[in-house]
Amino acid sequence: MKEKQLARLLVSGPPLLFLIVFFVAPSLIMILTSFRFPGEFGGLAPIMPPLEKAAGEHGFTSDAYQFFFSDFIYAEIFLKSFAVAFGTTLICLILAYPLAVLIARSRKHLRNLMVLLVILPFASNFLIRIYAWMIILGPESALSHFVNTVLGAFGIAPVTLLFSPFAVLVGMVYVHLPFMVLPLYTNLEKHDPSLLDAAQDLGANAWQRFWRVTWPLSLPGVFSGSALVFIPVLGMFAVPDILGGTGDILIGNLIKDQFLGTRDWPFGSALSIMLTLAVLSVAGLTAWLARSATGQRAI
Amino acid sequence: MKRGNLWLWSAAVLVYAFLYIPLIIVVLYSFNDSRLNAEWVGFTLFWYKALFNNTEMLLAARNSLIIALCASFCATLLGTMSGLAIHRYKLKVLPVLVFTPVAMPEILLGVSILLFFLQVLNFTLGMVSIIIAHATFCIGFVAIIVRARLQGMDESIFEAARDLGASPWQTFRLVTLPLIMPAVVAGALMSFTLSIDDFVITFFTKGVGEPILPIQIYTMIKVAVTPEVNAISTLLMLLTLIMISMAARLESSGSSEGSAKPRKTAK
Amino acid sequence: MNSPRLLFFLLVSLLPFTTGCTPQNSDAANSAKNVLHLFNWNNYIAPETIARFEKFCKCDLSQDYYADNEEMLAKLAAGATGYDVIVPTGNAIDTLIRQGALRPLDKSLLPNFKNINPAYLDTAFDPGNIYSVPYAYTLSLLGFNKEKIEQLGLPTDTWAIIFEPKYLEKIRGRVTVLDSQRELMAAALKYLGYSVNDTDEKHWREAADLIVRAKPYWAAFSNTSYIKELAVGNLWVAHGYSNDMFQAALDAQKTGRKFTISYSTPKEGAVLAVDSMVLHKSGKRPDLAHQFINFMLDGKNSAELTNLIGSGNPNLDALQYIQPEIANNKAIFPDPELIARLEMLRDLDRKQRRLLSRLWTEIKLR
Repeated sequence: MKEKQLARLLVSGPPLLFLIVFFVAPSLIMILTSFRFPGEFGGLAPIMPPLEKAAGEHGFTSDAYQFFFSDFIYAEIFLKSFAVAFGTTLICLILAYPLAVLIARSRKHLRNLMVLLVILPFASNFLIRIYAWMIILGPESALSHFVNTVLGAFGIAPVTLLFSPFAVLVGMVYVHLPFMVLPLYTNLEKHDPSLLDAAQDLGANAWQRFWRVTWPLSLPGVFSGSALVFIPVLGMFAVPDILGGTGDILIGNLIKDQFLGTRDWPFGSALSIMLTLAVLSVAGLTAWLARSATGQRAI
Repeated sequence: MKRGNLWLWSAAVLVYAFLYIPLIIVVLYSFNDSRLNAEWVGFTLFWYKALFNNTEMLLAARNSLIIALCASFCATLLGTMSGLAIHRYKLKVLPVLVFTPVAMPEILLGVSILLFFLQVLNFTLGMVSIIIAHATFCIGFVAIIVRARLQGMDESIFEAARDLGASPWQTFRLVTLPLIMPAVVAGALMSFTLSIDDFVITFFTKGVGEPILPIQIYTMIKVAVTPEVNAISTLLMLLTLIMISMAARLESSGSSEGSAKPRKTAK
Repeated sequence: MNSPRLLFFLLVSLLPFTTGCTPQNSDAANSAKNVLHLFNWNNYIAPETIARFEKFCKCDLSQDYYADNEEMLAKLAAGATGYDVIVPTGNAIDTLIRQGALRPLDKSLLPNFKNINPAYLDTAFDPGNIYSVPYAYTLSLLGFNKEKIEQLGLPTDTWAIIFEPKYLEKIRGRVTVLDSQRELMAAALKYLGYSVNDTDEKHWREAADLIVRAKPYWAAFSNTSYIKELAVGNLWVAHGYSNDMFQAALDAQKTGRKFTISYSTPKEGAVLAVDSMVLHKSGKRPDLAHQFINFMLDGKNSAELTNLIGSGNPNLDALQYIQPEIANNKAIFPDPELIARLEMLRDLDRKQRRLLSRLWTEIKLR
């Protein structure tokens, strides 16, 4: 069966090679970088001591990781980012679910149209969508005036909507909502409507039909959608950058700062490794939960 | 049932409103006759004209198009191969390598490729580095789409081809490829859209001297937000709308004929 | 029905090759021609000046931009080569000199060098001006919505207005500060009476505490959007750069706002950022580079930038060409006694950078 072996090599070989060179190797480099010293005035300190000059710092060190663990503040940022990611995922789920149900139940042409309408905002430039919220949440906007008038009626001091954690959350939800809708609706579409009819015949009310039939069946979709929202949010820096206030720094901003602000590549790499480990643990945990909840592999 | 439907419809309408009101504002304000664009002043097409005279923006658009085309070409090619390989052969390593870039936060991919190019290859960052970075994460998307299509197919078609004496290459060319073509095209279009809109990875892997569209827009947002920003995004939305409708049209026409039904051939 | 789709796909994928360009630096084609590569700040040279220089040298000027010194340093570290002239700020020049990345100037090719005000020469990081020639300068100071601040009865000549809660509570949510580790710490250090280049950890912690105390009253950290927000009236006080304030004041005037933007340097002192022209050692045309530097040292050319963006001008010969409103603006051309209280930033070594980074993270998080 040599032809079959050849075919297998030809088909799986090139992508494998490409990804080893441009994905695996870079990841290894990043791990390596996290164990080096930063250059005195930028870049990295050399691995071997230079021959001409007096040897400064060189070689490998766990300095960057020690720095990470030496202060709780970095763990705090991780926790904060996870909280934002979790909050975004939850809100996306709540907003997306009814829409996904509606799309799944509609007839083919209406369904395609509705899906297209969900994807379409995603087609505009990512930054523009964030910028749009700068306009909407700005202090002189109609929405701000409205909110502050309402708050004023209750005697509460006016709030600024922009440059706040609220703005960051709105931005994150807005950018990621389509990612929750699509896996959900794909899953819901496959549900057998006769199950719901059967439940109704057996006397279940609307809530019971949802909670005991639809929801459990939709769990794989819920998990896929949640993963597609949770993980990107963790690495995002543009939203806090543009919409955030003075306290809104997330792990993505911190990593970006190390490379483009402090010239501390080892620490930036160390942070990236920690983020990777965090994401892998969350993914692993979710997969395990999904499997035990649905009795099947979710992915 | 009817009351439940009302709830669903209202929720859906609210969500659509949430999704679209900001975009409508963006499009509307692209016609605003005000440089600072803080409140509505009057209607004008000036900003679209200014956009077409903005050589840097046009260069950025051209660069982004080139990158997107090259990246989606690479990604579609390698992604289709991956999707086939993963479906056909029970591989263990390739699925992990293909799907992880999709699941990783983009900043990690951008940073690692930056370090790799600088330290190992000593390669100056530029359009090539961006194309490679984009292709790396798009491969996964194409693979997912192609594999999903293959999973929904009747395996007996391929067995029949083999029984009739077709070589693996013939099977691929005459049976598999036509059947997965809608998925391949959908993957290509998806990669194109992802690449043109990508901000984070481009941010880290771009070189100097070559404006790229999302980075241009980012600079504009942070520095001087004239209605030109609105104008370019309106145009981008239009462009992607066209591409997505084409993709949808191709996919639906493909799925009606590309289904695993034997065609009637003249004997 | 496969062929049309396949054909379309193939045509589309051939498009990049028909645009006559494989993915390369678009300047690669220029390397054969007479081109000077300038790496400069956004909007930091007047278009008329470029046109005149191109006619003078019979060459092309190709410009790339950065918005921040760190961005420029990061890009150079990322392997960006081929720049002939760069215009970094003092502390970045400090770094570049220490990295050995610069080419010494040939003063014999720079007869106009004598035009520079001696007060801006012989800096601590480049004594004797072996590598750098001053180009323009900015001050980091405070900009105000004049009428609003007068109405609230707040002082306009001290950093206290952004650091003291008793003033801040009247302008809560209407203040922004620079999103820059060095700049904000410098302002705090100055307010506390220390030098901006103080590296004593205790003093840094004092400054950090001061900042954290004031932070709840600030709207945001902003490096550029404050220009628009001030001009539109959303902000009443902004910590920013003198030429940005000039722009904001101009914008507010042009759009017929009912208020004016004023700006002044606090009496405790501030950061002086002198941007100088340097030659990067990877530049291919040092001859054109020297021509450019000498050209920009001519008073008339140098004044064009000042008239355009309100930047400070260290060139004595340029004073006669600068518009009087700008030349007489004390915020742009400070008195000698104020100059004495201005300081330039020096670069930090890696341990100090890491410490500052951690303090900055704390500041942002608390």
